[in-house]
Amino acid sequence: MSTYVRHIHPRAAQGVTATQWRALRAPSLYARFLHQEVTSSRDTPARVQHGELPQIRLVVKDNIATSGFPTTCASHILAGTSIPFNATIVTQLCRHGMEVVGKAGMDEFGMGTHSTTSAFESVCNAHPLEAYSAGGSSGGSAVAVREGRADIALGTDTGGSVRMPAAYTGTVGFKPSYGMLSRWGVVPYANSLDTVGLLSRTVRPIRQAIVGLRLYKEHDPRDPTSIPDTVRSRCTAEREYYAPTAGPRKNLKGLTFGLPLEYNIEELDPRIRQGWLQAVDTIQELGGRAVSVSLPSTRNALSAYYVIAPAEAASNLAKYDGVRYGYRDTNGSSDAQDGVLYAKTRGSGFGDEVKRRILLGSYTLSSEAIDNYFIQAQKVRQLVRRDFDRVFKLKNPLLDEQHFDLSEMDESVGIETKLGPAQVDFLVCPTAPTTPPLLEQVRNQTPLDSYMNDVFTVPASLAGLPAISIPMDIPVDPASEEQKLLHFGGLQLIGQFWDDARLLSVAERLSKHVAKNIAGSP
Amino acid sequence: MPQIRPAALSKYLLRGQLVSRRCLRTQSRIQASPVTASTASLVRYLHTATATGEPPSNEPAPIHVPLRKQLKDEAKKQKESGTKKKKNVDNQVVDGWELTVGIEIHAQLNTEKKLFSDAATSFNDDPNTHVAYFDLATPGSQPIFQKAALVPALRAALALNCDIQLVSRFDRKHYFHWDQPSGYQITQYYEPFARDGHLRLRSRDGIAAEDGEGVSIGIKQIQMEQDTAKTVAQPGDVHWIDFNRVGMPLIEIITHPEFHHPATAAAFVRKVQTLLDAVDACVSGMEAGGLRADVNVSVRRTDDPNAPLGQRTEIKNLSSFKAVEDAIIAERDRQIAVLEAGGTIAGETRGWSIGSTETRRLRGKEGEVDYRYMPDPDIPPLFIGLDLIGHMWDTLGMLPDDVLDTLIQEFDVSPKDAMSLVSLDEGKRLEYFLTIVDFLMAQYSDDIDFEYYQHTVNWILHELPRLTAERSDEPAQDLGFTTDGECLRMPARHFADIMIHLFNGEINTRVAKELLWFVFRGRVPGEYPTVLDAIAGEDLWFRELSMDEYEALADTALQGQDDILRHFIDVLIFPRGKLMFLVGRMIRIGPEERIDPNTAESVLRRKIRDDYAPNLKIRDNRAARLLEEKDSGRLCSGSGTA
Repeated sequence: MSTYVRHIHPRAAQGVTATQWRALRAPSLYARFLHQEVTSSRDTPARVQHGELPQIRLVVKDNIATSGFPTTCASHILAGTSIPFNATIVTQLCRHGMEVVGKAGMDEFGMGTHSTTSAFESVCNAHPLEAYSAGGSSGGSAVAVREGRADIALGTDTGGSVRMPAAYTGTVGFKPSYGMLSRWGVVPYANSLDTVGLLSRTVRPIRQAIVGLRLYKEHDPRDPTSIPDTVRSRCTAEREYYAPTAGPRKNLKGLTFGLPLEYNIEELDPRIRQGWLQAVDTIQELGGRAVSVSLPSTRNALSAYYVIAPAEAASNLAKYDGVRYGYRDTNGSSDAQDGVLYAKTRGSGFGDEVKRRILLGSYTLSSEAIDNYFIQAQKVRQLVRRDFDRVFKLKNPLLDEQHFDLSEMDESVGIETKLGPAQVDFLVCPTAPTTPPLLEQVRNQTPLDSYMNDVFTVPASLAGLPAISIPMDIPVDPASEEQKLLHFGGLQLIGQFWDDARLLSVAERLSKHVAKNIAGSP
Repeated sequence: MPQIRPAALSKYLLRGQLVSRRCLRTQSRIQASPVTASTASLVRYLHTATATGEPPSNEPAPIHVPLRKQLKDEAKKQKESGTKKKKNVDNQVVDGWELTVGIEIHAQLNTEKKLFSDAATSFNDDPNTHVAYFDLATPGSQPIFQKAALVPALRAALALNCDIQLVSRFDRKHYFHWDQPSGYQITQYYEPFARDGHLRLRSRDGIAAEDGEGVSIGIKQIQMEQDTAKTVAQPGDVHWIDFNRVGMPLIEIITHPEFHHPATAAAFVRKVQTLLDAVDACVSGMEAGGLRADVNVSVRRTDDPNAPLGQRTEIKNLSSFKAVEDAIIAERDRQIAVLEAGGTIAGETRGWSIGSTETRRLRGKEGEVDYRYMPDPDIPPLFIGLDLIGHMWDTLGMLPDDVLDTLIQEFDVSPKDAMSLVSLDEGKRLEYFLTIVDFLMAQYSDDIDFEYYQHTVNWILHELPRLTAERSDEPAQDLGFTTDGECLRMPARHFADIMIHLFNGEINTRVAKELLWFVFRGRVPGEYPTVLDAIAGEDLWFRELSMDEYEALADTALQGQDDILRHFIDVLIFPRGKLMFLVGRMIRIGPEERIDPNTAESVLRRKIRDDYAPNLKIRDNRAARLLEEKDSGRLCSGSGTA
């Protein structure tokens, strides 16, 4: 029944949480928090001040270190393991008065698309969709939000792991620019792609966390990939909507939205396609302009992702050997099997999907394959980023100005000026090619089928760009019971690097109009 | 005169910071993230069975053996084998074969913190007391490059004449071993921070005679990397792991395969250690386990100059200079024997134990792990500014070779003594010598006799150590040389005074030695404020004999020495040994404290040349003639009787 709170010793964990919460409420501590709030409230809008809000309940994905809870990454190999410190993101949110109420189930080590590879318990979608996939890998976080057990949930997004469950559960899932939120305390899957993501019912709490609580400003010296303060200031100066007083946009006048031609794939569910087009109509009604754009490297992005992510994962997961922490296979008198240490521990500690990706990654990094796989994938990754930089009006603040060759562009894209095709503020596309599949179907899928689901979410991850999935209405055949249940899809908006604030602002405005049936409703 | 202060200059290394073990200890106490009780309890004893007794992984844990034990083992093995090995010096070449060797040296950098965490570096502290989350590969912890490691790393690279790369990167080298918590070592494989260096070895560095006056060895690259944890073997297949060492910064120095003689390879390793010491880049020498070498060895026949290099094997973890030379010789001989018997050399990794006569196989090609090098996705590229490199150059100080050249060429010191001066007491004796030179310069300025320098060196290297060596009944006492060119038990000012009085002929050598004791025992300045007061107070002035007294003494000394004096007849150059015997006799007979051996010698020379030798010749000739006459008379009378 409980789809998200998941540990080996739930009672013990709850006990610890309760104690912590009491400590938090202790007068002296409370006063200290208040003091901090007062000093920082000068430029903070009144509505996020501590004490005026009801307690915000936070659910944390089980690969993010949280004091008082085990952190297992849904893997047998870390069963019962606690990481003895708090992740920076948890510390930050708790400092702003949020309370961790539980940890969320997920795919083992974040590897999966349907939150079904957990070593402990599969996650299913929220009522009345229990038979359907909740998406992955942050499925537990999404369901917690959907069921109203959490106001905000933390997930991690490596190739769509926050956006995909958001699309399947009718919630909002946001993946910030790479390097904005600290990854200290987040168990890495693929470091160069991993981001901490936020899920909520609506866009507003997420925008308040990122912009209102100024999380975007906080550099973490413990995370070497956290963007330094100087670069944050520079990037922020080139962007809009970071002022804490900025509200959502009134309309979309002056904004151009791009529809990537390459995203109109054969596998796209017709209802999702229809929903996408309806959303584009809505954008135009709100004063926005829609143009088609070409992202020619898209077709290679998925392959590149499934080379890079498993390679980094194989490397990251080498540390789980049962020597210092976690599960250890003690059957027999020795760890050695055929003279290879830890073979048993790793063999029985990891699930099938994890082992598959470790093997995949180990192969693509091997001396005979690295040139053809890992190196090529890194090149594709650069091309994907170039594609994005070419279509966005804003330049990438991390790179020098680049010049692009028009000859690489798809022929069907019209030339707007003599300089080339139209440039856009945001890209708009579906998050997932289909509505959530039945869990039963998922079980019969080959791994390759489920990898296909990530086709729309992976490019933004490869380029480190901010992206958000918001619910959108899709056409429903009143005769179909299933279609009446699955009456929503996920609409994804992608922005240029560090354009997170404006992206959230536009998404907040748009979400009310593209999902009339679902937004905010339980 | 150039002021050479390598030890003093090294203080500027960390931009004015002094590295001392004491600082480190305070640092560690306030360190924020050591192992907490909860994680410490997770550290377990690793229990494993391995069939071969060798670590199954490809990185055999370097287990450090104390030097004294090494030497003992070596002696024992030699005794057991009962055979005297051929001396290495005669074993540098095998006719018909060419040896080729490349070397990789791992050295621990002299830093306060580990390479990617702020845990303190330590050597003999309690196990598992300096461990940050990242060192244990705690999930969710991340590496933060500690910039201070760049200082010793850059100094090492500059001392080895490398090109510093303005951009370098860190890579993960994957292999499983319990001493490697994350399952990979962070190193610089694809883009190291230093490339294309070289080191010139000269004959004085102890290279093989076959390499002549000198040889230049190319250095391919230098990379920064992490050390592994220390394994402490316990009885019964149990290993304890001390994570204090894990993540400590190392540099790996990789040479081109340009060695052809074993002694030269050993000389290279020795010289690298001296250099790293001189620039304060390295923590401790080979003997203390701070430096380890791997050698790649191959042989090929010399008959075909176009033949490619032979298949190479690698010998890992050599921990002394002698081991480097011995292992290369043993491996060379093994390879030649295999090839001459018609076999082939397999590319494999081999090991060497001190004192043995052959290398042993650790693992073959099939056992090699594919390290799956991957750029570390967490660690940003390292950008090294030209200003930093410039600063490092400016504060590098003089390198040992330059110091040696200066000593030999400008101070006329013998190469052997110059080497001793530079290498003893981490250069502190050199500093002391330079302080004395300052006093000598103040005394004599431009009129200084260059011989004074060599004399001073002799006293520093040979007379001063006697002060401590002769007191064997007492616990060993240190002279207490300091890095700023002073000596606690022999203040430079007093020593310089003794030397100056000696050079001026105001005291003799015996008195000078006696005065060393005065200073060493604290009578100067305790009893007498200065050396001068001691000489005056104890009446130690050298009152030399008058010329007449010298001549009279010489006459006495030469009495009855005709047998020796005969060697001086009709020779251009007097036989030195015989002359010195006579000088010694003169000193023995006369009042020693009033005799200057040089004057005694010149008086003797003159007397022998002008007087004794010619007179003896005449006497001898006369005696010979008398004998002749006598003999011929006998002959005559004999014939008369016949």
